[in-house]
Amino acid sequence: MGDTMDFALLEKILRRARELGADDVVAIGEEVRGWQVKFVNNRIATGMSSYDNEISLFVSKEKRIGVTTIKEFSRRNVEESVSKLLRFTKKMQPNEEYAGIAEGPFRYKVVKGVYDGRIGKLEDRATDFIEEGVNAALAEGAKRASGVLRYGMKEELLVTSNDARSSERSSDMYFSIRALADKDASGHKVCCSTTLRNFSPEKTGARAGRIAKMALNPVRGDIGRYDVIFDPYPLANLLNITMDSASAFAVEAGFSFLRGKLGKKTASSAVTLVDDGRLPHCLSSSKCDSEGVPTRRNVVIERGILKTYLHNTSTAKRYGVKTTGNAGLLSPKPWNAVLSRGDYGEKELFDEVKRGLYITNLWYTRFQNYEKGDFSTIPRDGIFLIEKGELTKSLKEIRLSDNMLRMLLNIAALSKKQEQIVGWEVEIPVITPHVLVKGVRVTKPT
Amino acid sequence: MHEELADFAVNYAVGKGADYAEARAEHSEGTAFSMKNGVLHAAGFEKEDGIGIRVIVGGAMQFVSTNELSKKVLRGMIDSAVRAARKSARVAARIDLSDAPLEKARYEVKQRVRSGEVDSRGKIEELFDIESELKEGKVSIPARFFSLSDEVVYKYFSNSQGCRISSVIPYVGFHSLITICEGGQTAQRSIQLDETGGWEIVKGWDLPSRILGEAKTLSNNLKCGKPAPKCRVDVVAAPEVVGIAMHESVGHPYEADRILGREAAQAGESFMTPEMIGKRMAEEFVNVVDDPGVPGSAGYFLFDDEGVKARRKYLIKDGVINELLHNRETAFSLKTISNGSARAMDYQCEPIVRMSNTFLLPGELSEEEIIDDVKLGVYIKSFMEWNIDDKRVNERYVGCESYLIKNGEMTHPVKKPVLETTTFDFFSSIKAVGDKVGYHSGTCGKGEPMQGVPVWMGGPTIKLGRIRLG
Repeated sequence: MGDTMDFALLEKILRRARELGADDVVAIGEEVRGWQVKFVNNRIATGMSSYDNEISLFVSKEKRIGVTTIKEFSRRNVEESVSKLLRFTKKMQPNEEYAGIAEGPFRYKVVKGVYDGRIGKLEDRATDFIEEGVNAALAEGAKRASGVLRYGMKEELLVTSNDARSSERSSDMYFSIRALADKDASGHKVCCSTTLRNFSPEKTGARAGRIAKMALNPVRGDIGRYDVIFDPYPLANLLNITMDSASAFAVEAGFSFLRGKLGKKTASSAVTLVDDGRLPHCLSSSKCDSEGVPTRRNVVIERGILKTYLHNTSTAKRYGVKTTGNAGLLSPKPWNAVLSRGDYGEKELFDEVKRGLYITNLWYTRFQNYEKGDFSTIPRDGIFLIEKGELTKSLKEIRLSDNMLRMLLNIAALSKKQEQIVGWEVEIPVITPHVLVKGVRVTKPT
Repeated sequence: MHEELADFAVNYAVGKGADYAEARAEHSEGTAFSMKNGVLHAAGFEKEDGIGIRVIVGGAMQFVSTNELSKKVLRGMIDSAVRAARKSARVAARIDLSDAPLEKARYEVKQRVRSGEVDSRGKIEELFDIESELKEGKVSIPARFFSLSDEVVYKYFSNSQGCRISSVIPYVGFHSLITICEGGQTAQRSIQLDETGGWEIVKGWDLPSRILGEAKTLSNNLKCGKPAPKCRVDVVAAPEVVGIAMHESVGHPYEADRILGREAAQAGESFMTPEMIGKRMAEEFVNVVDDPGVPGSAGYFLFDDEGVKARRKYLIKDGVINELLHNRETAFSLKTISNGSARAMDYQCEPIVRMSNTFLLPGELSEEEIIDDVKLGVYIKSFMEWNIDDKRVNERYVGCESYLIKNGEMTHPVKKPVLETTTFDFFSSIKAVGDKVGYHSGTCGKGEPMQGVPVWMGGPTIKLGRIRLG
């Protein structure tokens, strides 16, 4: 066995695992280069770069399952890792729910717009992006700005014992900027892309700066039920949780408010929520899942009705359906969350609100009961009172304390324009418009 | 371990013009198992080696990391880092490090039963034993998720000032979520246990009876629980609730990097300013510390990830704000010295200011004496939902196991009492502090990329006077 990560190495690992008695084998190799520049109070703080490669290895033996990661590819270490994994797996108890991995071979269609080789050669351009973002925020009225610029390149190879074989390159860019006009007045925006096209830290900085300026002189908000317009950034936090909750694993383990809701109304009829592993220009898009199954577009909620959970081969069998192409190495996982656009212009959406709130960021979403969906979350950065469609006051120190199902059912209107979001608390890409939710419960310290 | 490679990296970086260089080589290995609704869902083992290197050139800092442990790869990465630092020095904020004593040390947390030598069959038996106990317990628990893990982390830190620290720290952890059903209603409880040491700790947890006990309590809460009183009452908060409050509303806001704005776009900033040191927060019997030296604790270390000797930090002393948490960078900025609070999640992460074990020190009253003194109140033993704003002022803890106290006696369970308050009101409301500290585990998140590090948080039972619960 060699010492570089390539198809030949993955196939040798696969063959060796089979020789040692494995029934099913999945080997996924990843080579990742990443860069990040952190900026603090308008100045560059720390530059970071990393280079890592690894092979994730899954084996099954008579329904017993074992996984490991190989990070050093010398002949000796690879042989030791594979044989140890087989010995380890044979000692486990059978997982009676395991139904094997998908049968290949598969034909894959290329996912468009997920790789841009220029991203690996940004060098000085990275500093320019930051300066453009910060300067734009300052020009809009912010006094200082902090955040990160992150970018990376990934090469992924996959082989399975059921004849799946795939290779893919991807790239990503992410810019996060929090602009502060005062101690209590801030705005936070992000932009992300798979390519240099459509990546504009300058616009993002300007948007963060505008919110920061509008947020000056906040007053304490009041408790009550409000009609709330969510900016795409905070809504992404909640839609990320919603799509995680659609994984059949989350449903069975107690982490999902969608348990028992298949075929039922779980959101307003304005809501169609899709998991789309093939979406062009999306940060997580990939041509296949961890079993090698080609990814596809899964309509999870269609006009308010929960249509499917996200499956791998094993969970799909339990639910009497076919895999949705969402296999992770062990459990089904979402690729992204795409909330369909509505027909409101942004101004029209605000005009719908007689007295309500405009929320521009959320964090610290925590559940009292995942299955019931009872939770609270904290608006941060610009929070605004809307009166007769106009922003009339900047607010602070409130909390949204509500229920996920109730909020999804109370979605009343969506804007026409969608935005792709990832962030500090948004792990999967979320593509969403602005959304109006009726009657959201607001609490504050008593 | 890769001590020679780490020393090579430091010397090479200095040779290339770095004013300061440090390298942290790590090797870790461990196993992990998870069980979902009685089925062994996943089992695996990990072995990882890598190195993280920081250089400062002309006041600009660069951090690089890799799991490709060859001198050739390191040379290339260090060359790039030095070049990038030199270029960015024109636009970067100048970074300096506070002075720190030159430390040379080697330490290891002993395992009475080495986790690596425990047969994996024995490890999964711990999970099956929980399942057996729950089946006997006659409580309806439709969803059960348990995970059990062990890991040993070998670390070698070396810097260009001559510091050399080797450590071996073994960890064990248990995380779970149980869903209890009673009379058509459900309740959930998340339980996390993390300690440093060997497999003997897992044996000592007595997981089957602990989880069954929690399930029975929650079932009783669903069956007999009533809403919390609407009027202002005394709240008796047990160590689990005290611990999360100490972590969220003392530990985090006292992190100097947040105060200086370095976390603004991530975990946020802080209500605290350096000028607030000396300001009174609570009555004189309130003392809050962060202490990495608690034996067996999840946040245990003797030297931090900048090679600075760890010590107990009094964040609140005699009710007064006393000290912030510092690494060498923030200490220099605020004209002090580091108190050993730099931690990195692993070799891939830069060391930043972190908590270790944050807790309220004990007072003199027993929990019984505190409860005896309450005419009408609510005892909150555990919580599920919690959060706090990014300045660490507006906080909320929703009780899980809770009881009404009437004339010094615990009566019926209380359903989901909501303590929604501010840090200032919380601390000015502390009227009594118990004599026995309890610790609870957590994974603290901060930084970008997000770094989750194991911590303990805790304290004794306390009384908060005249609180309005939701």
